[in-house]
Amino acid sequence: MISRVADHCFWFGRYVERAEATARMLGASVSLALDAELPAAQVWRPVIVVSGEEDEFRQRITGGDDDHGAWGDGEIVQRFMVWDEDNGVSLARSVHGMRWNARSIREVLSLESWEAVNELHLWMRSDATPAIYAQHRDAFYQHVRRSTQLTLGLLRSTMLHDEPLDFMWLGVLLERVNQTARMLDVHHHAFTNLPRRHEVVETALWLSMLRALSGSEAFLKRAAGRVSSEGVARFLVSEPAFPRSIAYCVHSAYGRLCDIRPPDHHTLPGGVSLERLRVLDSWIRAREQEPLSGTAVHDVLTHVVDEVHEICGTLGKELLGAD
Amino acid sequence: MQSQSQAQGPGAVPAGGLFDGYPAAALPGTFDEMFDGALARGPFARVAQLLAKMSPDELARAQQLAETALLQQGVTFSVYGDARGTEKIFPFCLLPRLIAAADFARVERGLQQRLRALGAFLDDIYGEQKILAAGVVPAEMILGATSYRPMLRGVSPPGGVRLHISGVDLIRDADGTWRVLEDNLRTPSGVSYVIENRLISKRLFPRVMDAARVHRVDHYPTRLAETLRSVAPQIDGSGDVNAVVLTPGPYNSAYFEHSFLARTMGLELVQAPDLIVDGDKVYCRTTRGPKRVDVIYRRTDEAFLDPEVFRPDSVLGVPGLMRAYAAGNVALANAPGNGVADDKAVYPFVPKMIEFYLGEQPLLEQVHTYVCLFDTDRQYVLENLDKLVVKAVDEAGGYGMLMGPQSTAEEREEFRRRILAEPRRYIAQDRIELSSCPTWISERGTVEPRRVDLRPYILTSREGPWVLPGGLTRVALQRGSYVVNSSQGGGSKDTWVMKETP
Repeated sequence: MISRVADHCFWFGRYVERAEATARMLGASVSLALDAELPAAQVWRPVIVVSGEEDEFRQRITGGDDDHGAWGDGEIVQRFMVWDEDNGVSLARSVHGMRWNARSIREVLSLESWEAVNELHLWMRSDATPAIYAQHRDAFYQHVRRSTQLTLGLLRSTMLHDEPLDFMWLGVLLERVNQTARMLDVHHHAFTNLPRRHEVVETALWLSMLRALSGSEAFLKRAAGRVSSEGVARFLVSEPAFPRSIAYCVHSAYGRLCDIRPPDHHTLPGGVSLERLRVLDSWIRAREQEPLSGTAVHDVLTHVVDEVHEICGTLGKELLGAD
Repeated sequence: MQSQSQAQGPGAVPAGGLFDGYPAAALPGTFDEMFDGALARGPFARVAQLLAKMSPDELARAQQLAETALLQQGVTFSVYGDARGTEKIFPFCLLPRLIAAADFARVERGLQQRLRALGAFLDDIYGEQKILAAGVVPAEMILGATSYRPMLRGVSPPGGVRLHISGVDLIRDADGTWRVLEDNLRTPSGVSYVIENRLISKRLFPRVMDAARVHRVDHYPTRLAETLRSVAPQIDGSGDVNAVVLTPGPYNSAYFEHSFLARTMGLELVQAPDLIVDGDKVYCRTTRGPKRVDVIYRRTDEAFLDPEVFRPDSVLGVPGLMRAYAAGNVALANAPGNGVADDKAVYPFVPKMIEFYLGEQPLLEQVHTYVCLFDTDRQYVLENLDKLVVKAVDEAGGYGMLMGPQSTAEEREEFRRRILAEPRRYIAQDRIELSSCPTWISERGTVEPRRVDLRPYILTSREGPWVLPGGLTRVALQRGSYVVNSSQGGGSKDTWVMKETP
């Protein structure tokens, strides 16, 4: 397939996943702020940190002040993460990115998937939506989540399962690895460094984070109800059957890339990316045998995020027509 | 040519219901497509009866539904110069424009004849130029046209076809006689709206459509794909033909259509940077390396096609594309250089071309045209500026025009000056009272007559021209307006070509 089209497919997938992850995280944070006995800054600051836009927020919103009230102001943080056009990872920008990439490959998408994308785009811009945002915040995030989930479902159920879908899914999975890794990293650091560790509060925090990853039920099934920081970390890094764990996403991404560029087709482009993804996949599997607590969590997640970044760069050069 | 208005059959029904008051609003001296005075025209009686039963409320609701559907499906054009990337739907009216079977059969034959002649003209003008030697057409008009590409002389297109996709704008005068207003032989657009408008009609008026017995239009993409494949250069006789659609990109106002056609034909939609030329062959950059391209349906203006040959500043172009074309290694649809055949300065001579190349009399009338280069014509034009429509030959889309009857003295003086300065650049035509068609006016919730034209689409393969039984009806939505261009307040209607009564 055309490299430029593959690039649009890949980024389309990333933006859909990013929009969903953002809506999910914000929705979970609203709920956490309501029922946990945590200072507001400990609820909302991690949202900014996970998004990777800490510097942007510090400079533009707080005027460089790390004790500024905005860090703990849920309305300011949400406005920044939902509507801010200058924040590259805001929901508005992700939906725009998803729709722009989709429109650039309109002929590749099935009609139904395209309509789902376009409807979300129109909904975000419609005159009625700010009122929903103001009055029914939960319904707002739910609408975004459902629209993106509908899109992902329609892609699978109405498109040919061949190369374009493989590239879209590769984008979804690699974006998801990033989202899970950063979410776990930030929260693991924050929760295990609480001034006074309180078991009930900590449990509530971990469950809230799992909810943001749609993983609380799955986790409780695996852990038989026992919530611990190591258990959660192990689950999100290594659980092979949970579709948002790092192990699952990396392994599935490797499978997608094998379909796109079979390992034994040595003359085709894509070999370097494929090998690097294979190595990451087995490295993560090897982590099952290692202890996963304290600074080990941060080290593992940093390695994952760095490697995914490198792999995306290599993919761009080898397959997606980047210079 | 005899008048083509349909005979008043016994099935004729009086206007009523939705059409109450329509006959009284008829535009003077204008042929109405659906009603003859107070009666619906014979072939349309049944449809008129069914439509008349709809209430204005129903119609308003239907119109609203249809507009929402179009927006949600992204059936939109990009508004140029809008930083937020605003897209709009092409305004349209849900009341269909009907064409009787016998009428369309005549139009079809006339278009096929015209396309054969225009194709022969292009072959000749980029070949021996017999028509110039014979003095049938003044050489100055042709060779002096900016649309004539001397560098293409002697290049014959793969498959022998130049006019793969044409759109010919037709109007009907006060007698109902069809006349060609303009040929579009470069990259005519609008066919996606023909198909989309039909989908809406089917959704909104299933019972009316069923009773009307209308020719389908949804096979156009299949025919287009066949046409494209039919002109592939015979490389080694093996393998599949790789045909692609070339678009300037998502910011182009017609991007929806480019994408629509690629999708409905199952072809790749490519942009210039996706294509490379190596050894006079064209390849596409793919995830598995370069892939050979045989046929390009290009929706990029030819001036931007190849910076080596045309505009060197073009970033939309593919360097070397014209070398590959000249070497016969890739077919381009439409062929570059076609502009000389739809030049407004060349239009007045098309009837003579039909006689010269085919030895036939033209089956379709066109609009009488005064060529300002000719002394007697120019004299007449300058004396009658207030009655004529004056057009600059190198402008399109309704721009660079003087509508004499509506013009001010200053505007006429301005055109007089321009004509005298560059007579070759101007032609003038009698103003035709474009026919009218019942049109839904949302603001008032009424049905009123509005002027329309018709752009049928013709595909020409190795086997010859084929006319899609349908077309884009463009309607001047402003009361009293004659300008149907979408860039100037025009909309569209679904066009129902009726089947022969069994």
